[in-house]
Amino acid sequence: MNGFKIFIVDDNELYARASQHHLSLNPDNEVETFATGKDCISELYTKPDMVFLDYSLPDVSGIEVLRKIKQSFPEIPVVIVSGQEDVSTAVELLKEGAYDYIVKDENAHERMWKATNNIKENAELRDEIDRLREEVDHKYDFSNIKGNSTAIRRVYKLIEKAAQTNITVSITGETGTGKELVAKAIHYNSKNKKKNPFVAVNIAAIPRDLLESELFGHEKGAFTGAVNKRIGKFEEANGGTIFLDEIGEMDMALQAKLLRVLQEKEVTRIGGSGSIKINARVLVATHKVMAEEVKNGNFREDLYYRLLGLPIELPPLRERGNDIIILGKHFLDEFIKENEMPKVQLSPEAQKKMLNYHWPGNVRELKAVMELAAVMSDEQRITEDDINFNSTNSGLNDMIAKELTLKDYTLKIIQHFLDKYERNVVDVARRLDIGKSTIYRMVKNNELEI
Amino acid sequence: MNWKFNHPIMSDKKYNLQQLEELAGGNTDFVNSMVETFLEYTPGQLQEMLNAHKEQKMDVLGAVAHKIKPNIDLFEISEIRNDIRLIEEHGKNNLNTPELKASLDRLEVVLNKVFKQLEQR
Repeated sequence: MNGFKIFIVDDNELYARASQHHLSLNPDNEVETFATGKDCISELYTKPDMVFLDYSLPDVSGIEVLRKIKQSFPEIPVVIVSGQEDVSTAVELLKEGAYDYIVKDENAHERMWKATNNIKENAELRDEIDRLREEVDHKYDFSNIKGNSTAIRRVYKLIEKAAQTNITVSITGETGTGKELVAKAIHYNSKNKKKNPFVAVNIAAIPRDLLESELFGHEKGAFTGAVNKRIGKFEEANGGTIFLDEIGEMDMALQAKLLRVLQEKEVTRIGGSGSIKINARVLVATHKVMAEEVKNGNFREDLYYRLLGLPIELPPLRERGNDIIILGKHFLDEFIKENEMPKVQLSPEAQKKMLNYHWPGNVRELKAVMELAAVMSDEQRITEDDINFNSTNSGLNDMIAKELTLKDYTLKIIQHFLDKYERNVVDVARRLDIGKSTIYRMVKNNELEI
Repeated sequence: MNWKFNHPIMSDKKYNLQQLEELAGGNTDFVNSMVETFLEYTPGQLQEMLNAHKEQKMDVLGAVAHKIKPNIDLFEISEIRNDIRLIEEHGKNNLNTPELKASLDRLEVVLNKVFKQLEQR
């Protein structure tokens, strides 16, 4: 921080000098004194960090100087210093935007000292916030969603459109495709929202019983264990954005409540009587196919339509072609920079291996694979052998490479479907067009696990 | 207020530089320059008040009193602490009373004593 510039406007030479001297005891402070309001106003362009203003000046009245300062430089804090102990004038001046009101008594200089420190602290915090905000803006800039494929470029366009309005956005896509990143990009690129909070809630990560109070808050004593009042996520996000991840995991009872909140734009804390107006943009995400969930009776149809808004479907990584390489290199560079490692090259063979893989864990998996490769590589080159896939359901190519018997392949395929569809034998049998008794028999023989 | 040193019975000194010295943070040059400034401006301001009273310019009287009030507090000239406030109030409200005259007289006497004492400090 450069010098902290303080103006003192006071026609009482003696008092002004005493104040100047006192405030200058802190070498960071650069204090200038002015005998008249006009002198001060004509120097405002040099941007003081704060102004101490005597209320009764010979030329213009203090309130007028205050107004002038607030008109041209509303961000400069003005502290009124006055010989009067008059509450109504003080209130008037504070209403006009004065930062504080100090009476010239024996404590005046101490209070001026404190006011200076408070304002200084505030200014430092504000600078810090600006800096962090800039950092966040940059972090969630469009340019950070990497890739050139047509599929992802379509997503860019939708994000841009979503950011321009307040429309609810539903983001779908396989696990690891970057749904939260898209949600943040929408929030931080919205002009009217980005300075307000972005609150993310992962529905799947919060126990059912706690979810309601997590979302809507509760009053003290609303239920056993509610020892304190709690602000819900919706209230926290007021003015900003609430991102409900894994919305498909929400149970029916809570869905009804959520629908009401979205329609009325207000929440009632559990155990509370009054309702609180909420103005928050809603973004939801899920890896499930919501239309299917509705058809199966797991998700309310009315809520589905309420949340659908602008649907953004994130393409799985395997459909993004060369993006795999672009992203891979990006993650590699990032990891290397973070860990201060020497630069490494991605060999053509390694690239080929990456392009042939089906990436069930999508971008998240890619990041992990690249980081591992960076660690494993000898010399400054990532070879085919450094690229290791550890996915739970390894790809078709890998599977065929294993040269198993047809029966073993059949078992593997059925097991894969069982895992994917929550061990629902009837569903899997229908999908694979085999008899469900076939599956049950394999289970009985311990060939399959359910 | 530190009566031990400032009470007229205990000491003849009409002022007290303790507050100013605290403010100075041990810088005696600063205290000296403040005293100089006080001596430079206050006699003129006293004269201005006496003239204003003579010419019935009550608003001017009130304004000057308002202006030097903090200085009288700063130099802890406690004997006229209330007088300067009375003069300010009366001037502002355009009240020319015998009390005002008495306060002004006291102000003149005490301040002149302070000027002399400060000069011989």
